[in-house]
Amino acid sequence: MTTNTQDPTKLYYEDVQVGDAIPKLVKAPVTHLQLVRYAGASGDFNPLHTDPKFGEMIGTGGIIAHGMLVMGFVGQMLSDYVGPTALRKFGVRFKGMTRLDDVITCTGAITEKHEVDGEARISGKVQATDQNGDVKIMGTFVATLPHRSE
Amino acid sequence: MFDKSKIGYSFPPFTIEVERGKIRELALAIGDDNPIYQSREAAQAAGYPDVPLFPTAPTLFTFWGNAKMVSQIVSLGINVMRVLHGEEEYEYLAPINAGDILTGVMTVVDGKTRQGKDGSSLDILTTEIRYTNQHGQPVLNAREMILVRE
Repeated sequence: MTTNTQDPTKLYYEDVQVGDAIPKLVKAPVTHLQLVRYAGASGDFNPLHTDPKFGEMIGTGGIIAHGMLVMGFVGQMLSDYVGPTALRKFGVRFKGMTRLDDVITCTGAITEKHEVDGEARISGKVQATDQNGDVKIMGTFVATLPHRSE
Repeated sequence: MFDKSKIGYSFPPFTIEVERGKIRELALAIGDDNPIYQSREAAQAAGYPDVPLFPTAPTLFTFWGNAKMVSQIVSLGINVMRVLHGEEEYEYLAPINAGDILTGVMTVVDGKTRQGKDGSSLDILTTEIRYTNQHGQPVLNAREMILVRE
């Protein structure tokens, strides 16, 4: 296993306890413009996400957001928390569709601390819900953190 | 319907350069204005060697890197217009920075069809893309599960 560059964040292994909440991230309401912009950025041009007529045709009742956009929201929360290069694993299950004007809140908590391959790691669970508390995404992550003495 | 004989099959490799501008575009579309994703200067000022990978940036590698992805999925017997995204998981094995050249190989790792009582069927397909960098080092595994209603 290669030695990875340490993420230049201020979070240390010793600062984190099992059960700790990850600082939550509340996103601005999802807009049509954001979905168009995300389509262009990501390269996912499925009209389901950008063309209201297509949404009506296939019976989703208007356009729905890219699941990967909402995973991106959770990714932003994790990036803010541990930094991007500290992540070792990040996986999600898509539980529900996100629509225009939904306000997504990302939350998470630490479930485990462990040492693997000479690295101090934390595991956690993450979630994205809308303004009604409906779950859009559930997932887990693993990240490596520096020891305070290093 | 999904062609089960394709389980275990790997498609020809594809190559993609990790582009700074695409990482910035993706982060901004998601609404993450962290300066580390905006420029090399800001990333280096924060202690990174170059613009780091946004956690969900591997989605860029599939949509922009693998121009044949849609036809490959179609070749498995999947109607891409009926695909729902079920799960997405990344295993980050080593740092990936802007400028790296990645080679990805997509393998069909699992697939099954569930028959509904009403005669409908649901295909559940899992693919994995293993990426190595320009030094031949494994850097990322990306696993995706899709659902296809027939």
